[in-house]
Amino acid sequence: MKTSAVSAVVLTGGKSSRMGRSKALLPFNGEPLISHVVRQLKTVFHRIIVVAAPAQELPDLDATLVRDEVAYQGPVGGIYFGLRAADPEIAFVTSCDAPFLNLALICHLVSRMDGFDVVVPFWQERLQPLHAVYHPRVVPVLKEQLERHELRPIFLYEKVPTLKISEQEIRVIDPDGSSFINMNMPADYQAAVQRWQDLHPPADTGIFCSVELFGVARLLAKTSKLDLGIPARANLAHVIAALAEKLPVLAGKVIEPSTKSLIPGYACNVNGLEFVRDPNFEIKHGDSVFILSADAGG
Amino acid sequence: MYGFHGHLLHVDLTSAKFTWHNLDEARLQACLGGIGLGTSLLYEYAPARADPLGPENPLIFASAPLVGTSLTTTAKYAVVTKSPLTGFIADSLSSSYFALELKKSGVDALVITGQSPSWVYLAFDHGKIILREATQLLGKSARDTESCLRAESGNDDLRVAAIGMAGENGVRFATISNDGRHAGRGGVGAVMGAKRLKAIAIRGAVDTAVADPGGVAALALAMRHKSIGTLTAKYRQIGTVANLAVFNRLGSLPTRNFQRSTFAHAEALSGEHLTENNFSRRNGCAACTIRCERLFKSLAGAEQRLEYETLFALGPMCEIDEPGILLEAARLCDDYGLDSISTGATIAWAMECAEKGLLPQADLFGLRFGRAEAFLKIIPLIARRSGLGELLAEGSKRASGLIGKDAGDWAMHVKGLELPGYEPRSLKTMALGLAVSPRGACHNRSGAYEFDFSGEVDRLHGDAGRGSMVAASEDFAAVLDSLIVCKFLRKCFTDFYAEAAELLGRVTGWPCSSAELRQAGERINVQKKLFNIREGWQPEDDWLPPRLLHEKLADGVAQGVELPAAELREMIQSYYLARGWDNRGFVPDDKLRQLKIS
Repeated sequence: MKTSAVSAVVLTGGKSSRMGRSKALLPFNGEPLISHVVRQLKTVFHRIIVVAAPAQELPDLDATLVRDEVAYQGPVGGIYFGLRAADPEIAFVTSCDAPFLNLALICHLVSRMDGFDVVVPFWQERLQPLHAVYHPRVVPVLKEQLERHELRPIFLYEKVPTLKISEQEIRVIDPDGSSFINMNMPADYQAAVQRWQDLHPPADTGIFCSVELFGVARLLAKTSKLDLGIPARANLAHVIAALAEKLPVLAGKVIEPSTKSLIPGYACNVNGLEFVRDPNFEIKHGDSVFILSADAGG
Repeated sequence: MYGFHGHLLHVDLTSAKFTWHNLDEARLQACLGGIGLGTSLLYEYAPARADPLGPENPLIFASAPLVGTSLTTTAKYAVVTKSPLTGFIADSLSSSYFALELKKSGVDALVITGQSPSWVYLAFDHGKIILREATQLLGKSARDTESCLRAESGNDDLRVAAIGMAGENGVRFATISNDGRHAGRGGVGAVMGAKRLKAIAIRGAVDTAVADPGGVAALALAMRHKSIGTLTAKYRQIGTVANLAVFNRLGSLPTRNFQRSTFAHAEALSGEHLTENNFSRRNGCAACTIRCERLFKSLAGAEQRLEYETLFALGPMCEIDEPGILLEAARLCDDYGLDSISTGATIAWAMECAEKGLLPQADLFGLRFGRAEAFLKIIPLIARRSGLGELLAEGSKRASGLIGKDAGDWAMHVKGLELPGYEPRSLKTMALGLAVSPRGACHNRSGAYEFDFSGEVDRLHGDAGRGSMVAASEDFAAVLDSLIVCKFLRKCFTDFYAEAAELLGRVTGWPCSSAELRQAGERINVQKKLFNIREGWQPEDDWLPPRLLHEKLADGVAQGVELPAAELREMIQSYYLARGWDNRGFVPDDKLRQLKIS
């Protein structure tokens, strides 16, 4: 579900001094970390605003790029410039070094904004200003903070209506608080990479099978053969489901839409040798699955 | 009596005598009607070892209890006689309007014996039954014969079953045809021609009562709905021609006289290709909701009906790969009244003999695999029994016997009836069904191939479990063929015997259980076997042609698969065991008592 009245702001303009290199450009899951974060947020937010330091190099992003007018003013500066760009929309603000965003938690925070200017998580006895939602009403307040060189976001929370979300409430959605994992040191980065790999093992190398259509199925599909990519260790049910997706014209006439099985009157043969009815029948790479009438008479 | 008239009419053409007989209800209960009734009457009326083309061999037309009811696909009639092709029983079905008129003629069975001194047709017209001059009809197709008789009588309601030129000339695989449909196999048309009976023309007026009209109507309505669902989609939306591409891909399409099991040009002849490129319109039998007939545009621009068996026999069997040529060949078979399976298979035999130097006449004629011109020229010659056609008109078994040498090794028949379009080496249950079928190599008197397509058996390897399957399939087919219901409706029954017993009971008023109906099917098959035994059947008649046992499949997904004699023998033995017959295939007395066959 995309939130149309809310933007996301990603801060990338920090010095990354403890990391030793630009955190935004750290490789993560096969792409720069900033790209990874933007891509995740794009599934929820219609607009992403990336706040960068004045001369900071960043990859091409599907986002609106704004630059700190004054560099290195810490999170308050980034929040200010980001919210100003997002105005009049409220904005979820995060940083580029938080790769384990929980989109459900973010949506929950947004949903709690009624009557508040800020919704901020309170996790392990610490407020999380770079995982919080801000109303544009706070922009002038932040400006004043910057002018007074008050560079800690919690000062803002003392001035405006702020809802702190308890750890108990957070754990319902994000039980181990991985949303708040960030990387300051190289060890933090290595741990995050390892954690990501543990959570997302390398994808099965998919396999291909061909489907040959006969009779009514062929006439409907207007093709006699097609190739399908299916997961390794796929079975006949997977093939039929993939076929239904690729050829919606077969739904209801050859393939039962709800169960993704063949409608009575149709049969499967594998490689021209075995007639198969068991949906769990394993399909191997290179197999040919025939879809034909179950009736051979005439 | 409900569902029947209770009458049989015996017409002796030699004396022009008509004799009415009552049909005992107990007898009808035992044999059901249709093929069952015809078989029972054949045993009674045919003297032992009668010449199939002689006057004593009866030609029997039998109706059935479901014919004329509102149940879909029941407009059918049976033709039963002794086959001039096999010397055993020829039981054939045809469909559509003539079947309905036969039922309304007032007879349950028409038994025709003798030989008319001149060509005649038998006319039923509102209770009047008369033999009329037919010389003016000679040489005409069944379709033209009907047109002429309608014009002669001034009666457009007249329905006619007739023989074409092939039947007139005694071609041993001639058909009896009506409404574009054919009683196709076994040469029943030759028997009719031998009697100098050109046609039977009926305008009936006698209704048959059913015991429970409301009950029958309700069952018929329910079946009507099922008959137009997904279970009959293949027949309704593409027709039996859909089989060709599938069989080709499965390595089960007999090609080049069974030398191969795939055809390089199968796609051009496939049902899918024909539907997209040559389709004209759909048609159906009288009183049928499935409407499986497909008519395609022929070379002359006319419409021609095509079914799978015709497509295989006149296409891949002879390596004819052009749809236009094939459709023209099909038209010739229909017009002349030739069984297209036997025609194609006999021509293919001749082509192979020409290739092997066994039939110089065929070689001179140019009859070779794939040669369209000679292929089309030979068909009229067969119908006329002219030139090379004289030999081929005998069918592949007799023709190979006349040639001698090893020509018989290439004749693809069982008991003299040429094989249909199912490759036995890659459909092992079907192999058994073909070998043991009473009327010869038949794809219709059992549905043995269904097991091979089911996934329940290994279609490439036969075993002792196939016997009971084939026996059960034969009994099922016998009940369908006797009630009569089209086999294309079979998947619409959830419990066939229970539903059919209920339907029969509502039509006839008979108490009938599933078990009794199942037993009736077995009884009918045993009666066919008894007739064959009386006519000289021997165990070696239940076998397959040498090629199938000596040659492995040369191509396709089943390349290298063979049918060893030991495997076939094992399956045949299992069939006899399942039937309760002795190990040579004869029926013991206790089985006759069990089935109440006297």
